[in-house]
Amino acid sequence: MPAFGPRELMVDVFGRDLCVACGACVDLCPYFRTYRGKTVQLFPCDIPAGKCYADCPKAEVDLDILAEKYWGRAYEGNALGHTLKIMTARAGKKAPNGAFQAGGTASSLIAFALQTGLIEAAVLTDQEGLIPVPRMITRAEDAVTCASSKYTAAPTLSEFNRALRHGYSRLGVVATPCQATALAQMRTNPLDSEYFRDPVGLVVGLFCTWALDTRGLISLLSRRLDPRRVRKMDIPPPPAEILVIETEEGRVEIPLGDIRHLIPKGCLICPDMTAEWGDVSVGILEGEPHWNTLIVRTQRGRDLVRKAEAEGWLVTGKIPDDNKDHLSFAAAGKKSRALRRALEEGLVNTPEGNGRSSLRINAEALQRIIRE
Amino acid sequence: MSGPSVLASDPYNLIITGVGGQGNVLASRMVGEMLSQLGLHVTIGETFGASQRGGSVMSHLRISEESSFSPQIPRGRAHMVVALEPMEALRVLKDYGNPEIRVICNTRPIHPIGVISGEQSYSPLENIKKWIRSLSREAWFVDATEAAIRLGNPVLGNIISVGGLAATDALPLTRKVFEAVLTRRMSADKVGLNLTAFDMGWAMIRRAI
Amino acid sequence: MYELWEAGEGVRLLLMGNEAMARGAMEAGVSVAAGYPGTPSSEIIENLAQAAWKKNIYVEWSVNEKVALEVAAAASYAGLRSMAVMKQVGMNVASDFLLHLAQYGTRGGMVLISCEDPGALSSTNEGESRPYAKMMEFPLLEPGDFQEAKDMTSWAFRLSEDLRTVVMVRSVTRLSHASGNVVLGELPQRRAEARFKYHGSIMDTMEGPIINLPGTVHVLRSSQQEKLKKASEIFDDSPFNRYEGPERADLLIITSSACTLYCKEAVRLLGLRDRVGILKLGTTWPLPRGLLERHLVRTERILVVEEVLPFMEDNMHALAAILAPSIGIKRFFGKLDGTIPMVNELNPDLLLKALCAILDIRYEAVSESYAGKAAEIASLGAPPRELTFCPGCPHRASFWSIHNALQLDNRDGFVCGDIGCYSLGAISCGFNTLKTLHSMGTGTGLASGFGKLRSFGMDQPVIAVCGDSTFYHAVMPALVNAIHNRSNITLIVLDNSGTAMTGFQPHPGLEKNALGQKAPAVDIPAVCKAMGAKVKVCDPFDLEDTLKSLLEMIEDEEGVKVLVLRQICALSPEKKGKKSFEMAVDEDACLGENCGCNRLCTRIFKCPGLIWDKQRGAARIDEVICTGCGVCASICPAGAIKKKEVA
Repeated sequence: MPAFGPRELMVDVFGRDLCVACGACVDLCPYFRTYRGKTVQLFPCDIPAGKCYADCPKAEVDLDILAEKYWGRAYEGNALGHTLKIMTARAGKKAPNGAFQAGGTASSLIAFALQTGLIEAAVLTDQEGLIPVPRMITRAEDAVTCASSKYTAAPTLSEFNRALRHGYSRLGVVATPCQATALAQMRTNPLDSEYFRDPVGLVVGLFCTWALDTRGLISLLSRRLDPRRVRKMDIPPPPAEILVIETEEGRVEIPLGDIRHLIPKGCLICPDMTAEWGDVSVGILEGEPHWNTLIVRTQRGRDLVRKAEAEGWLVTGKIPDDNKDHLSFAAAGKKSRALRRALEEGLVNTPEGNGRSSLRINAEALQRIIRE
Repeated sequence: MSGPSVLASDPYNLIITGVGGQGNVLASRMVGEMLSQLGLHVTIGETFGASQRGGSVMSHLRISEESSFSPQIPRGRAHMVVALEPMEALRVLKDYGNPEIRVICNTRPIHPIGVISGEQSYSPLENIKKWIRSLSREAWFVDATEAAIRLGNPVLGNIISVGGLAATDALPLTRKVFEAVLTRRMSADKVGLNLTAFDMGWAMIRRAI
Repeated sequence: MYELWEAGEGVRLLLMGNEAMARGAMEAGVSVAAGYPGTPSSEIIENLAQAAWKKNIYVEWSVNEKVALEVAAAASYAGLRSMAVMKQVGMNVASDFLLHLAQYGTRGGMVLISCEDPGALSSTNEGESRPYAKMMEFPLLEPGDFQEAKDMTSWAFRLSEDLRTVVMVRSVTRLSHASGNVVLGELPQRRAEARFKYHGSIMDTMEGPIINLPGTVHVLRSSQQEKLKKASEIFDDSPFNRYEGPERADLLIITSSACTLYCKEAVRLLGLRDRVGILKLGTTWPLPRGLLERHLVRTERILVVEEVLPFMEDNMHALAAILAPSIGIKRFFGKLDGTIPMVNELNPDLLLKALCAILDIRYEAVSESYAGKAAEIASLGAPPRELTFCPGCPHRASFWSIHNALQLDNRDGFVCGDIGCYSLGAISCGFNTLKTLHSMGTGTGLASGFGKLRSFGMDQPVIAVCGDSTFYHAVMPALVNAIHNRSNITLIVLDNSGTAMTGFQPHPGLEKNALGQKAPAVDIPAVCKAMGAKVKVCDPFDLEDTLKSLLEMIEDEEGVKVLVLRQICALSPEKKGKKSFEMAVDEDACLGENCGCNRLCTRIFKCPGLIWDKQRGAARIDEVICTGCGVCASICPAGAIKKKEVA
């Protein structure tokens, strides 16, 4: 695969307004930085092949290369991605307590992974008001400080990059689908560096339908509340159609129609709802506010879940068929909508395609997805 | 003034060139005063100000027994160039050079910002020397900065070059008059060092002639 | 040089034009001299300041040229000989008062020296100020060489007292900053006494109050016309107007200022001394009508040669029209017909070209083959030297932070620039940060305007920068305007403790004055606070703190924020040679051209003290040039640049 650099990144991603502020290109070098949720280039860089382009989840992600590396086969386009097991889960008695969004599964798995030394540090996302703040923690009990969902696009991977530069070599990450995709690309050593060692010890993916632009949200909400005093955000399942914000003064409801224009364009062409490129993925369980849906994808993910349950850090259960079907339906819908839109905008390449696109996918999988 | 002319040409046109901060102005003032002391008409034209911030600087010296001349030498009319920096010699030769010109050139480069940042490249010294020789009648190359560093201050390269100029006998510049100018301009403790620099430059050129 | 005020009559020195003018003023017994630094004028005040303690002269670097002119005028009103010194743009600042000064008249002899910059070698404009003499009706002198620079300056004081009007002396770079032989005159021994007399009647210009009123203005202007007429008569016989050439000429050149030397050189080189006459005018307004009438009959063709505007040329045309009945119709050459370029400074070669064109002569400076070869070699081996900030300059660090703050803010914010070394913030050494650049104080004035355009949909953050000297010169009124009108702007004062671009002259922010005496400093942050701005002071070498402060300020949409970035100029006499740190690059840690750095320090930061060593694939410190400020260590992404504190 030919390699490209920051000049192409500026044209293909920033120029096409596809940046989802995931942080993959940030702090790799002095040129890309993030501030209040926005990724910017400080100075031009003319290097012909750069990690920024290679890792960026909006700069031609080759789904077949990823599927080949992680699952040993071509990309198939299944609604929920490669799945070993799907179940319900929540924090166990041994896991540290926190202000969980739902079941606390992600926090517990990270805490346990730290406790048992599977990872030496974890990169999570905290929040100050409405501004997402990536954080690296090394102690299990600190995992809960970053609990609760953030609905703004967060540059979490900038902290990952910083951790790498400080010499950490076994990192865990709680990642949105775009962030998990970036990590998956990075782990293929796309620039063929002879010094490359895979630094990722664990990826806990998060379900995501779309995110919101931080600055846009702050600007919109500033008229109704003080963004610095936001404690929690939630989007209840349909048919609610609202964003609920809990501040220190009380609860505010915003109709989704008022904020849809703040969804980054890059989210609209994202085919991944359940973070397919992780070890495990965690999301809500419809109808059960204190439980999560947990998808296990890799061997090490399965081992982690088993051990965590055995030692009381996690509780799991059987997922009802209804929930599984709803989830598949929603995920397939996002895939199909995204790829249709990407095709319309000329952002998809099949193996024969030559231009620099956003996604590369084999023709069979593409057909299967958009037909559904 | 009576008697045979002390100047090879009248007016004698000398250019001292370098980069802002190399002491170009001081050197040209020294030479100018030395010649003025002998009763010659001297005009010096200079540009300073913005050019000091890393830019090229040039002094034009017009020396005559008869009258004063303009502070700018007409195109192609310089007789001698003293270049404190190699690239600047080429720049001067483009506008003021001619086949009869003579050049004294300090070989230590000062990189323009464009070279430091990688946008331009600094030609190898051998090329520059070859080019200067092809555009002049006689050229001398000395590492004045190196000698100056040995004396304790790289800026003394300008005084060393003045000594070298004196050694060519192109102009009536003598150590005695230099010392007189030094004593008038500088405190006593600085005179010795500057004389040593002058002598060094003088010797470097005399050896090469 | 101490000889300037020590050496006696008859001594022959090699002097800069500015030094000659300073000596001329001393020979006239000047008592007060005021100015504002500006290239190419600054050395006049500097030299007078050095002589001041010996010669009982009061010398002042005023906050701006208007005040400088007022300070000099006060001395003149008190019966002292005084002068004001500035460059062409300074004349524009002083012009309001100049009109009134000219219309009322002076008492002690008063000279106004304007040193101009044809070709804009050190200016952001190519302007000139001779038209003020015509517009505001006072005499104008232009020295043609270094001896005249001294003699005419000295004479100007006497002329001023004869006519009781301010006299303007105009110089240009090629006179002010060039050097030539000058024979000195006598230095007076008298001691001047100052007293402001105002008890006379309002019509008594020497002993009455100095007031222009609607009722008295026309009387004063009439008297001004008398002065001009008298000046013209004096000028008819002035030794500063000289003719050199044949009785009847194929071509008469009328010229002034440094152009005189170019004309003489060109005529000599072409061997035209018996065909071309040169009338050098030293008194260019009002025109010496009688003298010109006598010379214009010598020839049918006239070439007018001068720097910048066709001032003399226009006036010659007008005069020739009036004199036509007696002298006949003349053919004029000059700037208006393109014989001499309208734009850029003159030199002997342009004169050679003009003469060859008019007289149909061929002249080749060097053979085409040599010229071609030399040009090709220069294009290969001598690329242009871009201007840059000095190593260790605080502006490089300041613009690094300002540029990055605006990028991170990501709302297309911009910076209105001003005059000083930091004007280089407009080019790559300042990361192309400035987006407007005009005159002193204009950055803040423009920002004040931009900061009120929000109601028209403009949400771009507005920043103005200025220097410490610029702040006192012209920024303060604009700042008051912005504060009172609630303009949403951030003003960044780049305080490097001196007027650096022009040679590090002192200003009111320092605790010393032009004479080197202790003086009370006017504190910039305190002034801004008192005006009602939100003020913070940072060290620009502390990149993190500066960036954080900037981001906070540009996010704050309420009113005026002032950030003072305080760090001394690398060339400051106080700092000279002293390094804060010893710098070195760890070659093994240096990422160089690799992804993760791509030569940030040498490709973007571009401090002259950093060199990219292609062979070793690493950056390196040039120990001769590095001043040890330590900033590059803060920007290196690999931590490969090490700094060690110097004891």
